[in-house]
Amino acid sequence: MPSAFDASNPPFDRLTQEEIGELRAALDIAYLRPGEAVLIPGQKSEHLHVVIKGSIEVRDGGTLNAVLGPKDAFDSRALVHGAAGEDFIATEETLCYLIPRGVVLNLISRNAGFAAFFYSEVSAKLDAFARAHRQEGMESVLRARVREASRGPAVMVPGDATLAEAAARMQEASINAAYVREDGRIGVVTGMNLAKAVLLKQLPLDTPVRQVCHFDVIAVDAEDFIFEALLLMTRHDRRRVAVRTAGEFTGFLEDIHILGLVAGNSQLIPGRIDRARNVADLAAPAQDIQGQVERLHRQGVKVEQIAEITSDLNRRLFVKLFDLLAPPAIRKHGCLMIMGSEGRGEQTVRTDQDNGLLLDGPVPAAELTRFRQDFSGALADFGFPPCPGDVMVRNPLWSQPLDGLLRQLRLWIMDRTPEAAMNLAIFFDAVAVTGRTSLLAEAKHALAEMMRGERALIARFANLVESFETPGLGAFSALMEKVGVAADAIDIKKAGIFPIVHGMRAMAMDRGIMATSTAGRIEALVAAGAFSAAFGQELLSALRVFMEYRLRAQLEAVRRGVLETEALVLPGSLSPADRDILRDALRIVRQFRETLRSRYNLAAFG
Amino acid sequence: MSRGALWRLFYRASLGDHAYKFLFEPGPPDEAVALDCETTGLDPRHDDIVAVAAVRIRGNRILTSERFEAFVRPEDSQAGAESIKVHRIRQRDVADALPMRKVLPDLLRFIGGRPLVGYYIDFDVRMLDKYAMDLIEVKLPNPQIEVSGMYYDRKYGNAPPGTVFDLRFDNILKDLGIPPLAAHDALNDAVMAGMAYLALRDMKARGVRIRRDRMGQGPPPPTGG
Repeated sequence: MPSAFDASNPPFDRLTQEEIGELRAALDIAYLRPGEAVLIPGQKSEHLHVVIKGSIEVRDGGTLNAVLGPKDAFDSRALVHGAAGEDFIATEETLCYLIPRGVVLNLISRNAGFAAFFYSEVSAKLDAFARAHRQEGMESVLRARVREASRGPAVMVPGDATLAEAAARMQEASINAAYVREDGRIGVVTGMNLAKAVLLKQLPLDTPVRQVCHFDVIAVDAEDFIFEALLLMTRHDRRRVAVRTAGEFTGFLEDIHILGLVAGNSQLIPGRIDRARNVADLAAPAQDIQGQVERLHRQGVKVEQIAEITSDLNRRLFVKLFDLLAPPAIRKHGCLMIMGSEGRGEQTVRTDQDNGLLLDGPVPAAELTRFRQDFSGALADFGFPPCPGDVMVRNPLWSQPLDGLLRQLRLWIMDRTPEAAMNLAIFFDAVAVTGRTSLLAEAKHALAEMMRGERALIARFANLVESFETPGLGAFSALMEKVGVAADAIDIKKAGIFPIVHGMRAMAMDRGIMATSTAGRIEALVAAGAFSAAFGQELLSALRVFMEYRLRAQLEAVRRGVLETEALVLPGSLSPADRDILRDALRIVRQFRETLRSRYNLAAFG
Repeated sequence: MSRGALWRLFYRASLGDHAYKFLFEPGPPDEAVALDCETTGLDPRHDDIVAVAAVRIRGNRILTSERFEAFVRPEDSQAGAESIKVHRIRQRDVADALPMRKVLPDLLRFIGGRPLVGYYIDFDVRMLDKYAMDLIEVKLPNPQIEVSGMYYDRKYGNAPPGTVFDLRFDNILKDLGIPPLAAHDALNDAVMAGMAYLALRDMKARGVRIRRDRMGQGPPPPTGG
């Protein structure tokens, strides 16, 4: 049997061959009767248990926190941190491997990768485990296709065009090289060729371009791998190669483009947004913002950093789009704001557009109507799905003068429906991106004053977290069906992200904290003494875990083209280590919900 | 299948080497040993043991950390090609092994007076008896616990006449939801028999029967619940 212990099962896959040998030699097997308590809260464990068959319920008082099955390990807290926090009870005839505590502690002290599984902080644990399947970095760049990095358009100038004409064409298309057609041959002229011709050789500007271009064009196919292109560039000492798609020249691949792949090319996007001269020019960079999310994730960038980069780029895009579309009156009187997850800077894969316009006075009605349609329409074209709640510039409710919005906020506060509370929540996350930003500050302060310290109002607002359960992992299918998904799937947005985000929002509102990001709110709440720094850190950790799992689910959903499943996590498809991390994160959320319940007496709302 | 008290007395009296008297003392309470032999064939008179493994069971635990495992070099007969296929123990592996007369004393000390648990344990014991008679002039007096018998009681004990029995080892494991380990490895077989024993013993204590219509337990749900 020692040989039968599955060493490929994380975290044991971190062990060396020799360490696995030690572990296997020390294993025993325990049989547990149905109903037998393996561990009770406060108890220290002499073994790490790994389920062979059967199931173990993890309970906290009356709450079923999780159900463990084959390959799940428990309980690292009881083993390493002194005492179990929950009851572990066998629900059927169960067999477990027993790994003696001494052996585990010894392996922890020797093997850092294995030790990560026993970290007390859940996001540190996640990082350690996420890193394993992400050691691709450079590798993935080299195996990307040329088309993922190359840039168009391919501009073709005749050989008798003048240097000045060629330069103008290239400037117009914002490219550094153009193709030259001459006697059925194709050549290439670069910006550097033109500059040298004029500055160094002092050729007149009306010299035909055929005199400065070269005809030994090195070309790759758009479907070639980057490493093939790199080999060609090195061999021929070129910083740029021509790119063909289906036989036609479609652009160039430059060394800087390859560099862009490495860094997720986010550093190239702002320049391209700035250079856009019309809405159509923004489509490509808008697409790239989305494309880099997947790439950054593949390269092992942490989810909170991906969210930060993405939200920064999106804001630049919104600003540019506003500048391009807003007529002077709206630019003068308006403030563009983004709300919801976009406002908190926590969106990665686009799920919806939550944006609005505040005005400090009347603007021409026709211009406003047109701007509303154009702005929301352009974002939809760029791939921002319309907001299901219609929280968009195109909705007059969300693009109106300040006093109108203030009236609306007051109505929502009086209204006792969850929809009204949700609207307040979305607005409370608003951030001004451009225009008269003071308008939003004024509106938000007005809202904060209306809500601050109003226990009854805050409580009703906080009660939204009760809309969804936070189920135990693998717990009853009935619970899952309540949140509207298949029995073995967890909607991570409803079960994990929303309770933390909204709970923090309610507590921030209660104390008049104006930070919009959840991390910022947690920090401010800790500073204000709302809860301990340690608990704040745990909650932030848990949120990052959920965001990471959600991003994985989203990227998977995008790949498969089934966007409905973007927030669904199937515990069965996770590795036991990932399941363990998710279980910890869900436990932290449940603890936070308890805090909210007692603070705002949520039971009173039924 | 346990040997009668009279036989035990007889062997105790005729025990050749009194150093092995411990075989006749009762073992520690609530302990047993799961045992399995891999052999060159199914005839105890002509075939030989090529590997033997045993694990102690204490209470509800299988102490795989204190296992006994040995490859055995047959004294005379050649391992037949057929059994090599079954056990995947080749002559080369067996060549590094010790002859049974060197293995048996350690095995007997490991077993002591504890009951022996196994699947068709009688066969394994008869194989061992052959060597024990040579060494210390007794047959193993240990009580035997037959896993297939326990399974029969839980499943077919009250079956109407004409019920078709299936007492194959892999079927028993499937019925009990025990994941199959690589079979025909003496230690794995002993451990699987031990797991089946613990499950069946507990079901008996709780008066739980195995339903005859169920075909195994199916794959466990992904989260185990």
